[in-house]
Amino acid sequence: MIKDWTFAKILASGPGTSIRDLGRVGYAQFGVPISGPADLQAFQWNNHLLQNKENDAQLEISQPGFKIQFLAPTLISISGALSKVILKNKLINNTGLQEINFEDILEIGNIESGSIIYIGIKHGFLSEQILKSRSLLKGITKTFQIAKGDEVPYFTNQEIPLLNRLSQVKWNSQYLSEEIVRVFTGPEWDQLPPTIQKSLFNQSFHISPMKNSMAVQLEELISNEIPGIASAPVFPGTIQLTSGGKLLCLLQDAQVTGGYPRILQVMEDDLRILAQKKPGQKLRFLLVKN
Amino acid sequence: MVELKPEIKQIGPNLTEISWPTQMVGELLFKRIQIEKAIQKEFCNYIIETRAGYQSISIVWKKKPEMEQLSMFLNQVQEDSIQLDFNLWEIPVCYDQILGKDLYAYSKAKSFSIEDIINLHSESNYQLNFYGFLPGFMYLSGLNPLLAHPRKSVPDRSIDAGSVAIGGNLTGIYPQNSPGGWHVIGKTPTPFFNPYCDPPVWAKPGDQIRFTPISMAEYERMSAHPKFPKVV
Repeated sequence: MIKDWTFAKILASGPGTSIRDLGRVGYAQFGVPISGPADLQAFQWNNHLLQNKENDAQLEISQPGFKIQFLAPTLISISGALSKVILKNKLINNTGLQEINFEDILEIGNIESGSIIYIGIKHGFLSEQILKSRSLLKGITKTFQIAKGDEVPYFTNQEIPLLNRLSQVKWNSQYLSEEIVRVFTGPEWDQLPPTIQKSLFNQSFHISPMKNSMAVQLEELISNEIPGIASAPVFPGTIQLTSGGKLLCLLQDAQVTGGYPRILQVMEDDLRILAQKKPGQKLRFLLVKN
Repeated sequence: MVELKPEIKQIGPNLTEISWPTQMVGELLFKRIQIEKAIQKEFCNYIIETRAGYQSISIVWKKKPEMEQLSMFLNQVQEDSIQLDFNLWEIPVCYDQILGKDLYAYSKAKSFSIEDIINLHSESNYQLNFYGFLPGFMYLSGLNPLLAHPRKSVPDRSIDAGSVAIGGNLTGIYPQNSPGGWHVIGKTPTPFFNPYCDPPVWAKPGDQIRFTPISMAEYERMSAHPKFPKVV
């Protein structure tokens, strides 16, 4: 089959649009964050539907007002948060597979539920690979986000792929409104007094505006008498208790070591619940046995 | 030497941390590195990666073995049988006040002359414990306690890549522009991280670093052609 290089032009983009693949596994030993997708299951679903390789790169969009023009035919798949998706000025299904023709323009409008959308493409986006990953990150890749005017390469077969609509599975978006996040106890858990331990599970926490791809900070304060720790490994999903009593949930671009006590660790499957929450939304932690 | 037994903590289904009651620096660092290597070798089919801190090693499992198996292995492992080979690196640093923006204020706060600070900072060998904070940021031990100084209460918005700084009882080099609360006393023309090289760093945990004072002219000459350093 013919496989030619072509480009998708970014016509508009808010801040924080990124390219993601499964990230830089094995580079933490050099201080390099993993930078995988914030919502791994949404990412995997797209690549599965497109019959791509599991590491094929996708666009990760976290602001409305994103507009992209594909120069040649391809197949895309959308998942993650639910938004208004417009193709050639017509509202289309906001998740699942979609055929793209020459010079089609796709727009992401209001994000109605959740906060992060994935657009996968047949054979993946082909931006520069640095340290075995295309995920954008400051200090690693030339640019740290996708902006208006950028051209993102991909492969085209020069013809619109055939799509069997009947065989399509629906994207299950129930987790976007889920408020329970399952957690394990972290390495410094035992240093918390029992009353504080309990308080973590019988109250709701709200997402603060301090949310980016490195971490999300929660509004409610927890009294903290644990001194700082000697720098120790941290991971996406590690919940740190800062000296000021703030809970900091680390996400995919978090640094690899930290000096705050690590009191909880979010279950990998539930990290997407946290990542998809918007500032002001609430959640509760549910303790799961290690 | 007292027998230091690590504790095993299970953090979820695919994450284990083994930790020691004390910081594994100096001679103990070799033990940590040997145990990390021994675990990687013994469980190579089970492990995605390991990460290290001052008192701990975290293991990310692809498939988790029985914890008794890990515990038994840690009890029996003859880590001394693992050969280690370390390098000493010489890093040029220009301690000119133009580059060491906080040098003057720091010397006043510490009541040391600038010359004393340069001598104290460049006469020690520092040990690389692990990388963290930023890509290529070295956690170094061995700062002369006389040079320790609390971090700034309000961090600077941006510290230049290459800045050599002191914060608390640590010294370090900012591998990229970054906000930071450490006192900048100089700058090195040596790059500490290159994403186009794999590995992207030149030193490994256990290696030693030595700072060599250079003039502004040398700094400018070396900055024009930044190169990874050579082993001494």
